[in-house]
Amino acid sequence: MSPPLVECRNLTVGYDGMPVLEGIDLTIEDGEIVALLGGSGCGKSTLLRAMTGLLVPLSGELRVLGEPLYELGTEERAKLLRRTGTAFQQDALFGSMSIGENIALPLRELTKLPGPIIDEMVALRLAMVGLAGYEGRPPTSLSGGQRKRAALARASILDPEVMFCDEPSAGLDPAIAASIDQTLLQFRAALGITIVIVTHEVASIETIADRAIMFADHQIIARGTIAELAASKQEEVFGFFHRVADGEAPTLTAR
Amino acid sequence: MHSILQRPAGVLASASTVVSLQGDLVRGTVRRLHRHLRAVARRRNAQTVVLDFSAAGKIDSSGLAAISLLARHLQRSGRTLELVQLAPHHETTLALLPKTSAVPEPSDPPPGALERVGSSVVEAGEAARGLFGLVAETGRQALAVLTRRRRLPAGALSTQIAKMGVDGVFIVGLLSFLLGMTMAFQGAVQLQRFGAGPFVADMIGLTMVREIGPLMTAVILTGRTGAAIAAELGTMRVRSEIDALTTMGIEPVRFLILPRMLSITIVGPALSLLGMFVGMAGGMLVATVTLDLPVTMFWQRMVQRVELGDFAHGLVKSLVFAWIIGFAASHLGMRASGDASSVGNATTRTVVSSIFFIIIVDALFATVTLLVRHG
Repeated sequence: MSPPLVECRNLTVGYDGMPVLEGIDLTIEDGEIVALLGGSGCGKSTLLRAMTGLLVPLSGELRVLGEPLYELGTEERAKLLRRTGTAFQQDALFGSMSIGENIALPLRELTKLPGPIIDEMVALRLAMVGLAGYEGRPPTSLSGGQRKRAALARASILDPEVMFCDEPSAGLDPAIAASIDQTLLQFRAALGITIVIVTHEVASIETIADRAIMFADHQIIARGTIAELAASKQEEVFGFFHRVADGEAPTLTAR
Repeated sequence: MHSILQRPAGVLASASTVVSLQGDLVRGTVRRLHRHLRAVARRRNAQTVVLDFSAAGKIDSSGLAAISLLARHLQRSGRTLELVQLAPHHETTLALLPKTSAVPEPSDPPPGALERVGSSVVEAGEAARGLFGLVAETGRQALAVLTRRRRLPAGALSTQIAKMGVDGVFIVGLLSFLLGMTMAFQGAVQLQRFGAGPFVADMIGLTMVREIGPLMTAVILTGRTGAAIAAELGTMRVRSEIDALTTMGIEPVRFLILPRMLSITIVGPALSLLGMFVGMAGGMLVATVTLDLPVTMFWQRMVQRVELGDFAHGLVKSLVFAWIIGFAASHLGMRASGDASSVGNATTRTVVSSIFFIIIVDALFATVTLLVRHG
């Protein structure tokens, strides 16, 4: 059995010495799509920042692709991060570049692939995310959903072993959100990419995730398959799945 | 549409070139694969190219791109590509090849020279209209504030004056002092050759008051204050903060621009006045040291030569310069849109266009003054 792609052992993450999440133990296995869930401010995005090399944990162990991410030197860490992909909540597309240049950037900077192959890879990836022919467009000319899809294309262009997505469908209409879910499923099926996704979109979780890990009160409060969590009677978990799903406050006793 | 056929092995069309793919088709091997497939595509003798995947391993995005390129190349010359002996994982990956060409249709040809000139003129016209609109709206809001129909945001004026003025005192003072010294050095050397050393006081007094004081202050204000205003407003525009003000029913011009314009109206001439006196002091120091000119004599010559009208001339100029900086920065900052680079562009354009127009206006002032005095 291959080692987990992401492994946290007694991990504490936070800002300025103040923990946001404490004593986190979790593993992400090869080929999984795992959702990190929780209310706003519960620390799921903070944990994702730690996993993507952007936030040094306060304590504990964090291994990504089998390597202790924060014990590596700058160069080794950069090499490791090149085997991962990150799609940010705010898309983080470079405004000074066209969409095609944005997506080609990792290929041009980090590989020695021939120009025609790079152009073709960009065209294929754009077609895959439903943006065929958008190579020359500036990011500002795209809608929020299109920008998110372009960001996913850039994050996946190097065929990363694991991809981290911070709320890829937040604020989008259900049809666009569903198309992003399908794109993520396609990434896994066709390119074998393992995906860690931070979200609080219940519909999205139910469509794509194999497992979910839920955070509250600075710690993990539940984990399991989506069916297991959806059936949970634990108050916060029940509230998360059923309030959001039904559009009303949870009434555990009434069910 | 890509002409890719997937057939079982052994059902090859006649006049085919068969390429047997071996090993992984991934980033490490794709350069060689691309070269080979390109060579195959260039051969005109085969109507069909067959890729045999029986010995092929993993395919990544780059391998997929190499196959897609081959397909397009063949398609352009009316030939077809067949894929045979595909394992299930090959089929999954090859399913990513779009049903229709992923390559965009050729875009419109780039605009010609005439079209580009026309676009630039239209753009400049729109920018000028926007600037005049901003000036008019600022005037209207200023009037509303003066007649007490509207209020400035609490504390905005004092904050802006502190930011623009108090923080700028040291730099304006230091640079003007050094400039006064430098001019006195240069002037003293030349004037002494003609026995006209004491006239350095006249030169320093007039140039500092009429030219260098206002100009130097304007350049410093452009770099410090103009750039800061453009960057601040540009960032607010990009972050939709200005849109938020509009949706709240708060006039962005009154809330953001008017306090800055009023502050720069006060700070510009005030700093300029400071620059004039400090510059004259710098010149006086050098004159007394290098020319042995007594301080009292320097002072008397300067007082005799520099009239109140010269001060008025310098102060009016610095007021106009301040307005140029303020309106250029506000206009360009408000026009920023989309991304971080537009904020950078707005800031750069503010500095360049402010200095450009300041020098033009300075030349106009000099010309008009000359005509009024002598013509």
